[in-house]
Formats: sequence, C-alpha cells, structure tokens
Amino acid sequence: MSGAVFMDLTVEKLAKMIDHTELKPEAKREKIKQLCEEALTYHFATVCINPVHVQYAAELLKDSDVKVCCVIGFPFGATMSIVKAFEAREAVKLGAQEVDMVMNIGALRDKNNDLVRSDIETVVGASGSAHVKVILETGFLTDDDKRQACILAKAAGAHFVKTSTGFGPMGATPHDVKLMRETVGSSMGVKAAGGIRSFKDALQMIEAGADRLGSSSGVALIEDFRWTQYSDAWTQPDKPCWTCPSRQANLAKQPKEVYLYYKQRCLTCPDRDQNIFND
Amino acid sequence: MSKPSSDQYSEAGILHVSLSDRSIRREALPPSLFTNFLGGRGLGVKLLYDRLAARVDPLSPDNLLVFAVGPVTATAVPTSGRFAVVTKSPLTGTIFDSNAGGSFGAHLRRAGYAAIMFEGRSTSPVYLWLNNDHAEIRNASNIWGTDTRIATRQLLEETDSQAQVACIGPAGENRVKLAAIITDEHRAAGRGGVGAVMGSKNLKAVVVHGTGKAGVSNEQALNKAVERARRLIKKNAVTDKSLPVYGTAVLVSVINEHGMLPTHNFQEGTFNDAEGVSGEKLLERLFVRQYHCHGCPIGCGRISRVHNEEVGGPEYETIWALGPQCGINDLEWIAAANHRCNLMGIDTISMGSTIGCAMELVQKGKLNAPLRFGQTDGILELIDDVALSRGLGAELGEGSRATASRHGAPELAMQVKGLEIPAYDPRGVQGHALGYATSNRGGCHLRSYLIGPEIMGVPVIVDRDRTEGKPSLVILYQNLSASMDSMVLCRFTNFAWTVDDYADLLAGCTGLQIDGLGLLTLGERVWNLERLFNLREGLSSRDDKLPPRFSKPLPEGGSRNRVVNLEEMLPKYYALRGWDKEGRPTKERLKRLGLAKV
Repeated sequence: MSGAVFMDLTVEKLAKMIDHTELKPEAKREKIKQLCEEALTYHFATVCINPVHVQYAAELLKDSDVKVCCVIGFPFGATMSIVKAFEAREAVKLGAQEVDMVMNIGALRDKNNDLVRSDIETVVGASGSAHVKVILETGFLTDDDKRQACILAKAAGAHFVKTSTGFGPMGATPHDVKLMRETVGSSMGVKAAGGIRSFKDALQMIEAGADRLGSSSGVALIEDFRWTQYSDAWTQPDKPCWTCPSRQANLAKQPKEVYLYYKQRCLTCPDRDQNIFND
Repeated sequence: MSKPSSDQYSEAGILHVSLSDRSIRREALPPSLFTNFLGGRGLGVKLLYDRLAARVDPLSPDNLLVFAVGPVTATAVPTSGRFAVVTKSPLTGTIFDSNAGGSFGAHLRRAGYAAIMFEGRSTSPVYLWLNNDHAEIRNASNIWGTDTRIATRQLLEETDSQAQVACIGPAGENRVKLAAIITDEHRAAGRGGVGAVMGSKNLKAVVVHGTGKAGVSNEQALNKAVERARRLIKKNAVTDKSLPVYGTAVLVSVINEHGMLPTHNFQEGTFNDAEGVSGEKLLERLFVRQYHCHGCPIGCGRISRVHNEEVGGPEYETIWALGPQCGINDLEWIAAANHRCNLMGIDTISMGSTIGCAMELVQKGKLNAPLRFGQTDGILELIDDVALSRGLGAELGEGSRATASRHGAPELAMQVKGLEIPAYDPRGVQGHALGYATSNRGGCHLRSYLIGPEIMGVPVIVDRDRTEGKPSLVILYQNLSASMDSMVLCRFTNFAWTVDDYADLLAGCTGLQIDGLGLLTLGERVWNLERLFNLREGLSSRDDKLPPRFSKPLPEGGSRNRVVNLEEMLPKYYALRGWDKEGRPTKERLKRLGLAKV
C-alpha cells in the first residue's frame, strides 16, 4: 500500500466516506436506532438501510449532517423498472437522500444495454434530487461486463457506481474498484461495498479509487484506524491473491462461465508463483 | 499503621509483610513508582529489581513475592478486578508476573493498598488476613494440606464470607515448580510457579476484605472514557459474541483450521478430533453458565457440569494442554482434569505440556512410564502425584525442560526460558513466534498476542507468514501489554480498545497527563527493566530462542511447510528495541526511559 492515501487521511475524512450500513433482513428498530446514533457520533456520510426503515431513520437524523441512503431493488435487481422507480420515489418521499439501486444484472449479461440503461434512467428520474448509485454486483460479471455497466450507468445519469450488495458472490476488491474508476473517470463516484471490515480494507479501496465505502463495520473502521499512528506494519503488502477477485470466485455461487473466467486468469497471472499451498 | 489521606490510588499503600519475624508495616506508594511504573506488573518488577539481590534462589526466604493491583483497579473501568503476582520464578529463573481475574484485586484496592510484598519465610503455615486497614498473620496449620476449594471455603468461614481468597493447594505447599495461586476457586495466577514461591514461604493464603472506595481523579473524564470503552466492547464481535458465547474455547476450531493446534507435543498442528473439544461442544455438553470476573462485561469464564458437579472452566489453553497436546479427545475428562489441577493448585498449561513431553519421551523410548498419547488412564492420579511431589509426579513437577533434559532429549521440551509454550504452534505465525522467543518470562502467548492480527484479523489481518514488519509489531504489543498489566486490565479488552483508550482510562483514574505514546513508553520502561533483571540473573540473547522443532516444517494441515524464521527477525527486534547485538539495552535507550541509574 502506498503512503500517499495513508498520509492524507484523517479519522474525520474517513468517516465522511462511509455509508454506515445495516441491510440484514432481521434487523429490528433498535438496531436502526443504534446505527443512526453511531452515524451521528462519528459523522458518517449516510446510513444505508432497507426501505422499511427510511422514515424512522430520517426522523432520527433530521437536521444532521448524516444522510439517509436507501437500497432499491435489493439485493437482486431483478424486479421491474416501474417497481424500482416506485420504491425509489417513495423512499425519497420518506426522507432518503441517496438511493443505491441494483442494476438489472441479467440484462447486462444478455448484452441488452438499452434495458439496463433505461432501468437506471427510470430510477434516476424517480429519485429527484437524491443521488443514485448503481450496484453492479461485480461477482456476476467479467471485467468487460463491469466496464460496460459503468458506461451505461454514467450515460443514464447516475452519480455513483457501486461494486456489490454484500449478499452476492463476491465483495469489493481493489481490482474492481480500480477498473470502475478508470472507466467512469473523476466526474462520477465509485463506491466500494461488500466485505469491507477493517481500516486496511478501507485504505486499499480508497487507494484503488473509491470515494465512498459501504460497510456494516463503520465504527470499527474508524476506531481501529487510530492504530495506524502506532505502527506501519498494518499496511505491509498482502499476498496478491488475498485481494484478487479470482480468490473469491465460487462455482456454487457464480455462473460457470464467470467462475471459469476468474480461475483462468490465475493461470496467466504474473503472481501465479505465489499462489501455492495454503495462505 | 498510618492511614491514607484520600481514597486515590496515589495514596494507596504498600503492605510489607515479613514472614520471618511476623512484622507488618504500611508504606506509602512512592510517587515516582506510581508515575513511572503505575502498579501491578510494573510496580512489582521495580520493587523486585530494587530489592532483590542477583542470583537469589527463588524458593529461598530471600525471594520476594508481590501481590499488586493498579490505578484502575476497582474503578468503573471494565475488567478492573484483576491482580498481579510478581516474583522471581523457580521455573524460569527470570522475573515473573502472573495475573488472575476474580475479585481479589478489587478487594485489595478497596482495602487501601496498591500492593502487598511478602519477604522471608514463616516457620509454620500461615495466612494473611487483611480486613481493610487491619492486617494480621494467622495460623494456617489447620488448612495446610487441603485443596484450594476446601481452603477457600474454610478461610471464608474463619474471616468474612464477603472476603476474597488467593491461596495455594498441595502443589504450592510442596514447592512444585508448576504451582499456581488460585482465587475464587478456579481463577489462577497460573504460570511460572508463583504458587511454589508462596509455599516456600509457608504462606497458604492471602484473604482480603476491602470495603473502601477506589477514588478517581477526574470522574467526569473517566465516565466518558468508560462509556466509550463499554460501547466498544459491545460493538466488537470477539468481546460481544465469541467470548461470551463460547468462552476462550472458541479458539479450538479457529486455531485447528490454521493447522496450529499443537498436537502430540507439537509433532503435528492439526488435531483430528478438534470438534470434540471445541467451544461449540463445550456449549452443547457441559455448559452451565458464564462466569464474570469483577467489573467484566465480557464474561469469557465458564462454569461447567462434570460428573454432576459444577466446576470452573475449562479455558482454551487448558483444553489444548490436557487435550490435543496429549492426544486426548474426551472433553468431559479434560474438564475434570482441569478441576483437579485447580484443586491441587497447578498451572494447567505447563502441566499438560509437560505430560505431553513425557508422552513423547515414552514414544521415543527415552522414558519408561505408563503414558501414551491419547490415553487418559492414570493421569488424574499423576496430577495428584505432581502436586504431592511423589514418584514420576515429582519429576514432572520440575517442568518439561528439566524432565526432557534428564532423559537426554532436551529438544523435546516445548519451552522458552523454561516456561512451556502455550496453544499456538509458532510455525504458523511468525510474529507470535518472535513474541515467544523474546518474552521476558519465557514461552508466553500474552506478552504479545499477535494471534489477534495474524489469525483473527484484529484490528486488521496481517500476513502471518511474513517476517517484515513483525519486530515492530511485537514491540508495540509487548509495550502495550506491559502497560495494561501495570494498569492491571484484562488482555481481552485489547480486541476492542486501542492504545488511546487505555491512556484515556488511565488519565481519568489518576489525573496523569498521559496519551497513547506516553503509555507505550511506560510499557517500554517496564519491558526494559525486566530485561535488565534477567540479564542480571545471567540470561542472555542465547535464551531468546525456540525449540529446534520449530525449524522443521509441520507435516500437514493449515500450517504445513512452514518453519519459524527467527534469525530474520531477532536482529531487527534488538535494533528497534535500542539494544545491542547481544540483546543488552544501550545506555542511550535506558537514559531515554529514565532507567539510566538502575
């Protein structure tokens, strides 16, 4: 990990990049209350929650610097555009200021670019002034698919592209974040989400180009970040396989061709000599 | 005895107890000791360094035995009921501190004391009864020879049912080098033979009843820091979920999956029956309820039901030592053997490791004894024999280093500086391995618990196979641990708190203007003084080593093909410590730490 990101980052800056997230279906009101209280304490960018909790969270966060972010078409993105639009419109009406929609993943894999784009445009239109982030669910996609999804999301007027739901086959990886940043350029946001549990994960994503992080471990990211002043050993480089999407590939969770796409990359990887035994 | 002018820790006393002439006097805690070494381990180490002549026989009347608490003890700070026992170890010949939970520490502090220092030797068995500011040496002949449970209950009847007891069992009385000090019947200051030192002084127990207040300097600041500290414990998956639900035994499965659960005296790193001795199985089969030490919101302790009797434990290290280390997969038997060790007052880690060593000696044809890996027959009786110092038990009671050497195979003792290495095969964790080798008290996992970052990913995962960066990380953890032990707090808080949190809690309690870096410097001071103590005793860099077994790879499992690369890390460790190539602190470093005159 290079020192540049690391040196400039403060606890406050890091907090303002975090969507403090609670998307589990079993979450009770008490959990949402705690989430909001923590967001106020740490001044996170948003709380990222399911639609049923938006009104409650909006009340708790009223007049604060913490926004409400609501997921739409979550977690599969496989519902109709009109339903996503309705869900987004209602969420915004109830107080959501940011909307994280799941893209029509199957349509993208079908190369049905018009449908993918119109699906996003519909949600963007329904969200009014709320920022829209498009979740690609990278674990279902090849790199070419990811690039195409980024181009479509940008063309559809979305404000961010986002890696994952946290419920799909893969979490965020620096590889995907870098690819997404290179594709959308600097005028659009890139949100890394899924499996970001430590400040080291966060720093890797930021270094790769993320300007927003989705995590249900927001408090730990901030609190543990303070360890960095006492040692630089935390950021010693990992084995390259650790952060590679190919390591996360899983035949049980991914389409066969996508799984093989990732595994075949291992065969030509410049770091393949390090991919031995167990680590 | 003079009374303190306030209930602040800085006004707490040191109780000097001469067991030879039965004199007792109270001395104020010197301000310089308080500000430079706090309490607990740091205070004890400084007292011993200043007052103990070099090369003293640890079991002679000349050795000192210090029970110490710290500036956060008995306050609102979570886990602040612990106490430290500091002495020169008969097992390692090094400076040694061993600490225990329960509530003894809280009572000692509330009685108005930072420490009790025992010197000399009583001509007959005694115990100390400290009831707030009243201290009295009492006859213990009637309980000499009893196990720790009987002794504890009888002493509470004799004194006050609300008091707290720290006592030895038969092992300590017989000066067995694996003897522990037991409090609350099953919490142990276990390691290093501190119980043998107590026994050598004919001191059966210390009974304390403290009802005063542990005053703090800045209540408002402390409340804020405590509120935050509690919240962080609640937010942390280890301290809020794993430890409360499974106890420390949660580690059995984790460490086994990494191929680091030492099996058959570290010949393998994977135990086939790990599931049968796991935290999950303990919960399903033996669990009765959680046990919380004083002021602890975590509650990692277990009360288990074994043979229709409620017993304390077992903890992870004990399950390993009496289980996989000896090839034993019977969880109920392990819990019973743990209970037997507690009754006899024996350190379960060193006991199990030494039995495992003896089993390998038998396996290799070096020792003729009825010990076989995987067989429990006769081991409960052997534990009794160790405690009573008879037969094979007398031999094993000297520890694995002495036992293996006696039978011509010193390489089979899995120890550092004479202290048996605990339940993590160092081949799978380079940083933790360096921690073992450089530990001032020998093979100890708590001096620098790099299992956190190297295995559990707390606070972040670091590559367990890399040697780069590990010396600095080990030093960070060693210094922090020394500080925590001098505040006297439970190591498990470290999963949830950072250096700054400890500093804030300490500042709130004491009014000391201290930040995280200051706290680490204090820990570094303690660490270096311990090093000086050990050098004075004749130890050197040659003792910063691991058994040769760890230079050969494990044959299978999650840590196969790995060896410890100590030679890559040790020179960097010395350099970062500001020590010369022989591992001696330089004058410059000692001056910086305020130790130039020692």
